[in-house]
Amino acid sequence: MSTFYFIAFLSIFFSLLVIFAKNPVHSVLYLILTFFTFTIHYILLNAQFLAVVNFIVYMGAIMVLFLFVMMLLNLNKETEPGKHYLAKLAGVIAGGCLLVTLVGSLKAYKLSAPVILHDPNLGLVKNLGKVLFSEFLLPFEISSVLLLSAMVGAVLLAKKEPRATA
Amino acid sequence: MNTLILISVLPIVLLYLGLYKAKNALLPVTVIGLLVAAGLAVAEWNSNAQPIYHDMMLFDRFAIAFSVITIVSTILIVLLSKGFFEKISEHVAEYYAIMLFSLAGIIVMVSYYNLTMLFIGIEIMSVSLYILAGIRKRDVASNEAALKYFLMGAFSTGFLLFGIALLYGASGSFNLAAIRDYTLSHPRNIDPMFYTGVLMIIVGLCFKLGAAPFHFWTPDVYEGSPSIITAFMSTVVKTAGIAAFLRLFSACFASIADFWMPVLLVITVVTLFIGNITALYQHSFKRMLAYSSISHAGYLLFAIVALGSGSANSVFMYATAYSIASIIAFGVLILIQQQTGSDDFESFNGLGKSNPFLAVVLTIAMLSLAGIPLTAGFIGKFFMFSGAVSRYHIGLVVVAVINAIISIYYYFKVIIAMYFRNTADRVALAVPGYFGFVLGLSALATILIGIFPGIISDLI
Repeated sequence: MSTFYFIAFLSIFFSLLVIFAKNPVHSVLYLILTFFTFTIHYILLNAQFLAVVNFIVYMGAIMVLFLFVMMLLNLNKETEPGKHYLAKLAGVIAGGCLLVTLVGSLKAYKLSAPVILHDPNLGLVKNLGKVLFSEFLLPFEISSVLLLSAMVGAVLLAKKEPRATA
Repeated sequence: MNTLILISVLPIVLLYLGLYKAKNALLPVTVIGLLVAAGLAVAEWNSNAQPIYHDMMLFDRFAIAFSVITIVSTILIVLLSKGFFEKISEHVAEYYAIMLFSLAGIIVMVSYYNLTMLFIGIEIMSVSLYILAGIRKRDVASNEAALKYFLMGAFSTGFLLFGIALLYGASGSFNLAAIRDYTLSHPRNIDPMFYTGVLMIIVGLCFKLGAAPFHFWTPDVYEGSPSIITAFMSTVVKTAGIAAFLRLFSACFASIADFWMPVLLVITVVTLFIGNITALYQHSFKRMLAYSSISHAGYLLFAIVALGSGSANSVFMYATAYSIASIIAFGVLILIQQQTGSDDFESFNGLGKSNPFLAVVLTIAMLSLAGIPLTAGFIGKFFMFSGAVSRYHIGLVVVAVINAIISIYYYFKVIIAMYFRNTADRVALAVPGYFGFVLGLSALATILIGIFPGIISDLI
């Protein structure tokens, strides 16, 4: 339990740092750390597949992509557009509404009975594979069309046209 | 199922044809392949379909009818594309392939029986469209269209996915029948999470459909994309979107209509007004068609607001009429754009004298879109409105009739430009054979359905 609280503290701490960091690159680096703490949460919940996917895809691929984009865009204080007064007001109102909703729903909800899994090994790769290749075989296969289409399109858009006129 | 397999394999065949430089074979292979796919779909008409592959898909009459109409529309659009892609790039095969991939996604969207299939179908369709919107790589408007569509589409997919997750959390299943059973077995105490999920799904699907207030991407994307792709987006994609919408709501949420009906009612009214009133102020024909497609999304939503046993039929009718008429409009627009390089209303001036055939078919299309009797559009609107009246949505029908009257103004702007505004330097357009065939066939179908609606009105 104490591990959970420690990791939860770290998650909140790093996500606050994401918001408060002045430098966008630092922000992204903190976001990577935040995702890393999520990975540990998944491991604590015995959801190994989610942990691995979170580690590889989110922390690895997507966040590094973020970092590259940030560096390419060269965001710094001079290029950042000044925040309008009205935008700030709208942000405060929207954020306040969210806070009120969250507090209200927390008050309305009673503490539920602790969820007990029928199968504590639910999140293992083995179980996921079994479901994926029996019940969800068709969606799994059809995803290949999605990937192929995206791949063909990416090549098509990235390839240089031999002619100059379009 | 055979249809889906064929349409998934066909693009791969096309890619190979492109690899071996068999450019002339592309169009015939595409058209024949699609015709066979439509035939395979029709062959299953009386097969009394059951959900297949662990209840993932259901090829019932609903799915078959919408598969066939989307396939036929795609054939017509593909025929119009003869010579269009060659001007953009050398990789023609890839464009056809991506278009057909998108169609494969659409087939999944109209025949799903499980929410995961709905999601994958929408994604296959959307990802292909993001690419198609941006195929004019050196055109800034096309780049903007692709990027905007991608960002907005990804955002709306997020909503949809969140909604599906909440439905799963409440009902414990992705299966449409299981979700329906959940709503039936908990008439009083449905989890609030479930309602939130329904709202999220409405947001996600309205984004894809281009209904207000989620329509902001539509005009820019439709205007920036190449006209062929715009034709594809505003006909086939819209039909698929409303079919998926209707399938989900009639299969799962019919018993909790009291909850979501007012939401959709407001969306429908707002969509009608925004689409029609903004279309009044457009100078570009293409942009006008974009806004009119928003208002037609509003009319299509009528069937879901007045959900009943006849909804599928009226959506099928309306989508057919709207698709055929839009294909004519975009076909003529492509020819005009090739000649004058502009898509303003002025570029239609004098078309009645120089090209009587084009002017007549475009007039038929505009009349059909406006819903004038003896055209398919009138029958479509009639079905929609009578469905709404039978559910006592009198106010909604009044609003819709007012909007139909507004729409007549901007549809007639084109007709007036063609017949009553003359320009001296108008040269007759050369109409290629493919265009003549598609335009003539579509105009004929519009009038035929308008006079004998019985041929497709009782199908589903």
